[in-house]
Amino acid sequence: MMKHNRSYKSLKVFILLFLVCSIILPLFSLIRNIHPSDVMKVISSTQFQPMVWNSLFTTTIATCISVSLAFALAWCINRSNIRYKSLFAVLFTLPMLIPSISHGMGLVLLLGDNGFLTNILGVNIQLYGYTGIIIGAVLYSFPVAFLMLTDVFRYEDYTAYEAAQVLGLNKFQQFRAITLPHMAKPLIAVVFAVFTMIFTDYGVPLAVGGKILTLPVYMYREVIGLLDFSKGAIIGLILLIPAFIAFILDVVKDDVVNSSTITKAYKIPMNRLRDGLAYCLCIFTVICISLPLLTFLYLSVVKQYPVDMSFSFDNIKKAFDLGVGFYLKSSLAIAFMTSLIGVCITYFTAYITARSKRSFTNLTLHLISMVSLAIPGLVLGLCYVLFFKGSFLYGGIMILVLVNITHFFASPYLLAFHSLSKFHSNLEDISNTLGISKLRMLWDVYIPCTKETLIEMFSYMFVNAMITISAVSFLANFKNLPLSLLIPQFDSQSLIEATAFISIMILFVNVVVKAIIFFLKRVFMREHTE
Amino acid sequence: MEILEKDVKLSLRNLSKTYDGKKVLHNISFDVKKGEFLSVLGPSGCGKTTLLRILVGLEQQDSGEIIVDNKDISRLRPDERGMGIIFQNYALFPNMSVLENVEYALKLRPETKANSKEIAMQTLVQMGMQEHISKKPRQLSGGQQQRVAIARTLALNPSVILLDEPISALDVANREIMKKELKEIQRKFKSTMIFITHDQEEAFYLSDRIMVMSEGKIEQLDTPKRIYENPANTYIKEFVVAHLDQKLESLKRYVGKSDDEA
Repeated sequence: MMKHNRSYKSLKVFILLFLVCSIILPLFSLIRNIHPSDVMKVISSTQFQPMVWNSLFTTTIATCISVSLAFALAWCINRSNIRYKSLFAVLFTLPMLIPSISHGMGLVLLLGDNGFLTNILGVNIQLYGYTGIIIGAVLYSFPVAFLMLTDVFRYEDYTAYEAAQVLGLNKFQQFRAITLPHMAKPLIAVVFAVFTMIFTDYGVPLAVGGKILTLPVYMYREVIGLLDFSKGAIIGLILLIPAFIAFILDVVKDDVVNSSTITKAYKIPMNRLRDGLAYCLCIFTVICISLPLLTFLYLSVVKQYPVDMSFSFDNIKKAFDLGVGFYLKSSLAIAFMTSLIGVCITYFTAYITARSKRSFTNLTLHLISMVSLAIPGLVLGLCYVLFFKGSFLYGGIMILVLVNITHFFASPYLLAFHSLSKFHSNLEDISNTLGISKLRMLWDVYIPCTKETLIEMFSYMFVNAMITISAVSFLANFKNLPLSLLIPQFDSQSLIEATAFISIMILFVNVVVKAIIFFLKRVFMREHTE
Repeated sequence: MEILEKDVKLSLRNLSKTYDGKKVLHNISFDVKKGEFLSVLGPSGCGKTTLLRILVGLEQQDSGEIIVDNKDISRLRPDERGMGIIFQNYALFPNMSVLENVEYALKLRPETKANSKEIAMQTLVQMGMQEHISKKPRQLSGGQQQRVAIARTLALNPSVILLDEPISALDVANREIMKKELKEIQRKFKSTMIFITHDQEEAFYLSDRIMVMSEGKIEQLDTPKRIYENPANTYIKEFVVAHLDQKLESLKRYVGKSDDEA
């Protein structure tokens, strides 16, 4: 019976090799490909300083707005008595279901020189440049911050507030003594996560940056347009810095709070004014989110914007003539394989690190698994170009699947890790004495017990594979291109209606997937409480 | 010791274990008779759980031998030692029904594969759990879960059963019931049992003999009666005898007196 542990051990070796080949070695080839002479050339170029400034300026402002908005929204959902909370919460996360570049395109369609709102209101806000980049970045990033902060609010223990009330502390004192210390650490983590996300994204600034050049856009153009890998790698290293700091913070942060440590849920007092303001903010946000999405939909079914606004399927037909159907299939195949293989590998890795004794190998596995958090997609993509060029994988669909799995590795891994860590270690003691192999335990006990986590991981990987434009951008060619990458391509050919239709299609696929996941979860929940 | 060699089930010889430079077991040697109920009694951190984990093979000793039925099992894997273990938190498989929990390991063994279901049912009937066979562990009370865990171990017919504070997580009423039941099980199945506990009363109630441990050493190994009457040293006097006396004292104060006097 226990001889099966041999297959477990070989799988463990496979995982270790996989991680080394898919993360560590590609990273080294990035560094190896930098020509020292280029470093000075890049840094001393006239473009460099303004570029760094543009990136830092837009990212900082957008991060502040994004986190503040997310904080306010998370507060509304968790600390007010408004109705339709779960509906609002779902709507707030809709922007996570479309590529970052779609947010830029949406702004162009609404507020650009010929935009809907520009025409209706007769006001041109001069979108291209800082304004566009910042608004787009906020739209793109606040849902992530919202989800993270909602968790923080949800897991705040009310007992401390009751004790404070007994002691006679006023609201301000309570805020300083309880709320702030509770929020400080997670808030820093959120700020870094959002900062990194915006700092490394090229989608929004590519669409609405105008003459304003940011680091990721420069890197994208150097590599895609000029095939200058060395310069790309140097910018890549700079992009690694905030991500790396965020990663260190994430590893150091050890306070895993969850529902099991909560003794008492927060009690929300009645307050009409507060609820009214909360409604206003939530509804305003929903309008801001849905306007671009509705515009995509509208634009897909009019004849020709803005000349002939009559209803027609011409644009959709034209999009399919341009090969959208083929690339949709390609995208679905990539997303499906990424999530299927990705879930298997991340789950098994988490099984090793969460369910066996602490050892040097397991700790190494754990750390490498989380390193992907620190590598921006654009940088990872370039690493892959440099490492896999010339190999049999290069140019096919599997390289995109592989780079996606690596890019999205950390989050599903951590989901599985936390979920599997919840079981008592005595289960392993029992299986050891009963003679049940590790793989049998995995198959017969752990997988059936963590079905919800598994589909959650699947959904995460699928949705992200559908929307990503970063890691895949340098690796894709006309044969294996995912749908999302058609947006920058069509945009450069001024096929605006087609980009709108693609965004709507990606949104549609992701909503369907999310709905299926939601339904499955309900079924599993019912199994639990039967 | 007055145990005849033919009666010895399990025998430990000079067992030692060190963790991070700290010695947790010092040259432990003792014998357990066939069908005996031996309690290992000591405060937390005395090494009793480490001893149990080494016995069953979940940890490896630095030196010393474990002999069962005249066979050295010191280097065997846990599943080859023929021992069963029962934990305080039951460690049932959460996704399986009561029957599946008991049947699972039986199914995986060639010798019991064919009639795994009968064996499982039979053991569950003996544990009085026949009405609950299709329930999931979360639908059972603590005591019921522990019965399933015991059935799962008994079904494999182990030569020695190790119990790691199996009733400490139960409430007082259930603990009393389970105490009686454990005695009953031992009588019925004639199993050799090693019972780990920090509770003096449990040890005195259940055991044929008690081994009192502190700081990785055996302080005294004898029948409950003789430990109480002839404590080997001041540690036994304080940790065992004085504690029991105090319990008796406090009970006496309330028993046989009217409410006013108490």
